[in-house]
Amino acid sequence: MRIVLDRPRCEGHGLCEEAAPQLMHLDDDGELVLDREEVEGADAALANAAARVCPVAALRVI
Amino acid sequence: MSGGTVDRVVVVGNGIAGLTAADTLREAGFDGELTIVGDEPHPAYSRPALSKALLLDGDDMTSHELPPTGHGAKELLGVRATGLDLDRRLVTLDDGAALPYDRLVLATGSRARRLSDLPEETTLRGLDDALSLRGRLASRPSVVVVGGGPLGMEIASGCLAAGCRVTLVSQGPPLILQLGPYLAGVFVKAALDRGLTIVETEAARFERRAGDARVVLDDGTVLEAELLLSSVGDVPNTEWLADTGLVAKGAAVPVDSRGLVRPDVAAVGDLAAFPTPHGLRRIPLWSSAIEQAKVAARALLHGDDAPPLRFQPYFWTEQFGLSLKAVGHLPPPGEPTYLDGGPGGGSALMRWSYGDGTGVAVALNHRIPIPRLRRMSQAAT
Repeated sequence: MRIVLDRPRCEGHGLCEEAAPQLMHLDDDGELVLDREEVEGADAALANAAARVCPVAALRVI
Repeated sequence: MSGGTVDRVVVVGNGIAGLTAADTLREAGFDGELTIVGDEPHPAYSRPALSKALLLDGDDMTSHELPPTGHGAKELLGVRATGLDLDRRLVTLDDGAALPYDRLVLATGSRARRLSDLPEETTLRGLDDALSLRGRLASRPSVVVVGGGPLGMEIASGCLAAGCRVTLVSQGPPLILQLGPYLAGVFVKAALDRGLTIVETEAARFERRAGDARVVLDDGTVLEAELLLSSVGDVPNTEWLADTGLVAKGAAVPVDSRGLVRPDVAAVGDLAAFPTPHGLRRIPLWSSAIEQAKVAARALLHGDDAPPLRFQPYFWTEQFGLSLKAVGHLPPPGEPTYLDGGPGGGSALMRWSYGDGTGVAVALNHRIPIPRLRRMSQAAT
């Protein structure tokens, strides 16, 4: 599975980082960085949790 | 664990709380029959977006949409739960059906509190409300908004941005109850600078006179406008639980630290009052609903072996050109310490300390990861 970021939608809340710090983080400018895009197994569950918590649906796992 | 095997779970409510409960049940290993009941015909959506981007974004009508669900539940949408029999473990629906369950999640949320029964009193709570309001703003009506909380102010901001003349009626200064005097002052200044008219009053009511609806203040002042809105809080949707003894009339459903009402029933989201440092509280916010639902879904399957809720509120608002992110229990008293930036506008980071190691951290027009903001809120001074 793959994490896809819709950058224009991202408002930098960072709730995704809280849900899946192993997979993504906000950099010093508040821009979201995907540290990993391809995820499987337990990481895919984390990625889904990160996508779910985003209030502007900027993340999708496909 | 009490109550035997778990083959069937019913989630009543298809907002972010119900959706997260369903997702989490699957993550926690539940592979039985899962049913979600939602009274709106729409798939779950992001409610915070309704009074922010959805009111503003030109042609983008998708800011409230959430990713497709992956829980594989049977979804019964456009259907309302009307009753609950705790002994027979049965939820009755307004289409005449009855759903048996082994475990149940109550997540029917809340609705806008109203000041009248007049159809002219417009509220914003659901997606249909937002789409209707958006449509009405296209003709730039004059607007009166009754209610100076965050939602009322977001709506006023959206109406101003749409080119309307807007008067906001507030009990005391807007936002002071929610954000405290300091931040309220920052937002009121931004609102006035953008042309909002603010009227403070002790009480306001809606009435109809000579065929026209209008707002009347406690001193007799009459406010007329083409569009009358109210935003005066929300009421838990618990009437369907009236016969269960789980909830007092008009009140929230009290739950334990794992979101449970009893071992086989959880209540999550805007209708639940859960233990906080300030007693049993409803915290009707996005991340609150999500955290409650995650904890409660696991507790339904694993009981006391599941971890209890450890929740620190996260709140954000966008209005009048300002974007605020706040971590900690609001409202903060007095003046903040500035960690970055300073008073008078621009990007800033602020902190209030409660003296017990907790506090409030606020980012104003400042992008910052929430985990960092959380650490800041807890830093000792």
